[in-house]
Amino acid sequence: MALNPEMASAAPVPPRTYVRSAAATRARFLRQKVVPWLFIAPILLVHFIVVIVPSVQSFYYSMTDWSGIGAAEWVGFENFQQMIFDDSSYRSALFNNVKWLLVFLTVPFAMALVAAQLLAPVRKGAMWFRTLLFIPYVLPSVINANIWRNLMSPRLGLGAQVAQWGENTLGTDQLAVFGTAFLGKTETALMSIAFVDNWHFWGFLMVLFLTAMQGISQDLYDAAKIDGANRLNEFIHVTIPGILPTLAFMMMLVAIWSFLVFDYVWILTQGGPANSSEVLGSYLYKQVFNRFEAGYASAIGLSMSMFAGIIIGIFALLRRRGWEI
Amino acid sequence: MRKRLVVSVLLLLSLVLSACAPAVPTADDAAAEAEKAVISFWYNPPSGGEGATCYQTTVIDPFNEMSDTIFVDAVAQPEAWNATRTALAAGEGPDIVRTPGPSFVFELAQAGQLLPLDDYVASEGWDDLFVDWALSLGEVEGTIYSLADELETLVLYYNKTLFEQKGWNPPSTVAELYELAAVIAADDIVPFAHTNAEWRPANEWHVGEYFNHVAGPDRVYEALTGQIPWTHEDFVTSVELLDEAQQNGWFTGGLELYYTLTFDDVRGMLGRGEAAMNIEGTWVAADLDTLYFTEENGGMEWDWVPTPSQTGDPIYTIGMGNTSSINRNSEHPEAVAEFLSYSFSPESQAALLRNCGKAPAPVRLTDDAMEGVDPRIAAIFIDLAAASDSGGYGYTTWTFWPPKSDAYIYEEIERVWSGDITAEEYLQGLDELFQEEFSAGAIPPIPERQ
Repeated sequence: MALNPEMASAAPVPPRTYVRSAAATRARFLRQKVVPWLFIAPILLVHFIVVIVPSVQSFYYSMTDWSGIGAAEWVGFENFQQMIFDDSSYRSALFNNVKWLLVFLTVPFAMALVAAQLLAPVRKGAMWFRTLLFIPYVLPSVINANIWRNLMSPRLGLGAQVAQWGENTLGTDQLAVFGTAFLGKTETALMSIAFVDNWHFWGFLMVLFLTAMQGISQDLYDAAKIDGANRLNEFIHVTIPGILPTLAFMMMLVAIWSFLVFDYVWILTQGGPANSSEVLGSYLYKQVFNRFEAGYASAIGLSMSMFAGIIIGIFALLRRRGWEI
Repeated sequence: MRKRLVVSVLLLLSLVLSACAPAVPTADDAAAEAEKAVISFWYNPPSGGEGATCYQTTVIDPFNEMSDTIFVDAVAQPEAWNATRTALAAGEGPDIVRTPGPSFVFELAQAGQLLPLDDYVASEGWDDLFVDWALSLGEVEGTIYSLADELETLVLYYNKTLFEQKGWNPPSTVAELYELAAVIAADDIVPFAHTNAEWRPANEWHVGEYFNHVAGPDRVYEALTGQIPWTHEDFVTSVELLDEAQQNGWFTGGLELYYTLTFDDVRGMLGRGEAAMNIEGTWVAADLDTLYFTEENGGMEWDWVPTPSQTGDPIYTIGMGNTSSINRNSEHPEAVAEFLSYSFSPESQAALLRNCGKAPAPVRLTDDAMEGVDPRIAAIFIDLAAASDSGGYGYTTWTFWPPKSDAYIYEEIERVWSGDITAEEYLQGLDELFQEEFSAGAIPPIPERQ
């Protein structure tokens, strides 16, 4: 709409209104553009110091022969070359991470889904069940690991007592398998650690799934019932699609975490026996602190980041292709 | 709106400023008031044991009371060694730098993070204080950077009561040891109370003892000085004999148990007579009576003999538990040197042995220093000193091997025990790594053979 020039000249903008408007604009600018940055500035600064700078440094050191102390000498891609072509211990550790990934993408998810489905309709004492199953997750890993180290002790552990009871009371050695030193055998060490880690972790998944399930409309279940669905059908055709975004997101996180695993391995076996439970995290630690190969360890660390990046990329790609995750 | 904005900004500022405010008054403040030079000392907080606390009450507290000019600020620092090396890299860290051994000193000295000690050796009289070969262990390229803090060796502890009951004699040769181990195992008793579950580098105790007592210290010296490779047949024999003991299940009753039982478990077995022997370091001697050979465990007695050797001659492998140095960036290096002189004095070292069970530094202990010490423990250090003078000493891996070779020794030996690789392949790998470090000049000083 065009303004009448006469009207425009007859009604000049009062100076007072102009001043208020400029102040308001400045205040709005401050409020919208400056203040938010002031609030996040401290965390951005911390993030820059503890994440960005070390990441760039790590990238640089991966191209050097740095011992972790003193000056570093540039070696180009030598560390990566050694890691990929010459280092069988690295490949063995990576393979263990892949095994870990497969276990953690199946076992805890299956357990958590089943438990959440069973607990979802429970009303009386629901909070007790949830708390009970969640407790291992809030215990520090060193406590969890030591509890299980004692439980799995081949002399004093639970299994050892069962084996002894079988032998002394029942007169059979059929239960002797329970007395196995699971953490001391190359065939069972890695899976035993995975068992302990899973024991602490699956309750967390269960609570997440339970929360996601509570967001599913009851109407969908009612409709399914009318269509003649049993509980299994409901689970497959209503529950799973209803929690799919949560499920997929947790799968992505668990996949990333599987390449970063360290604490339980280190506490329980330090990668042994005979490197059978070595994972990239423990292998990296040894390179830095036992062998003074910080440059090489940086290269290993970068490879771990790369695997995480690949996983994120796969999920992003699936999302772009229309998957509801 | 403006008021809210101002309040928000002020709140934010106050949060940031409060984060920058000093914490509670520190020891620095207390010492500064008294105009003392404050020097810092980092230690691992005790985890059940009382090592660091005992060191503080036995050495640091009396020194602080005695000195009018120096205050030692003892700071509990979890993972003290890793914290120290990180801080040193940033030009910070404690004034007194403690490392786990000479090979670590090499790296720090190369990086220029330690102060040369040669001037203090003369001014503080450390050349008279330490035994002849000890100061050379702190050398890097001809300059002294560290003082050996704890002299260690490994011996064969045995359950004396059990031996007497069974009529067994402590062995002096490897052949006798293996004969006896077979007899013990046949009697359903575990020959050796060994484990690595809590400390995987415990593997190297055994590899090192077999190198020194089967191949012999002369061979080890030749290999450490680059005269012969680690693939020498004597080393192959050493590793094969060690593997034989493992395959026979002599260590704790089998590999699975060796990898899973705790130190408390296996030492308890020794104390109760369920195991007969244990080749371990002097660090455990002080705990044997108080924790394992107790009345509750049957009131048995222990004793020791030198680790049996191929020839039967007693050989004591020399090990350094820790070293002490001065931070290059210390503001009070003279004060640190003065404290180190006090800490390494025969009186302090004897008090540490008596009160804390800590093995003494390789200093010249006075005749009465061992008074009040368990005679069996005193005998170990007296015999070790005599062996040092007569050449009857060998070399522990964590003291005399460079870091990568050292780590290889205890990590990869498990692959021999699991059958993944042979003794020859294991030693081939060790030799390749060692020659690489040897060429780089990363070998700690090796005391010459007498």
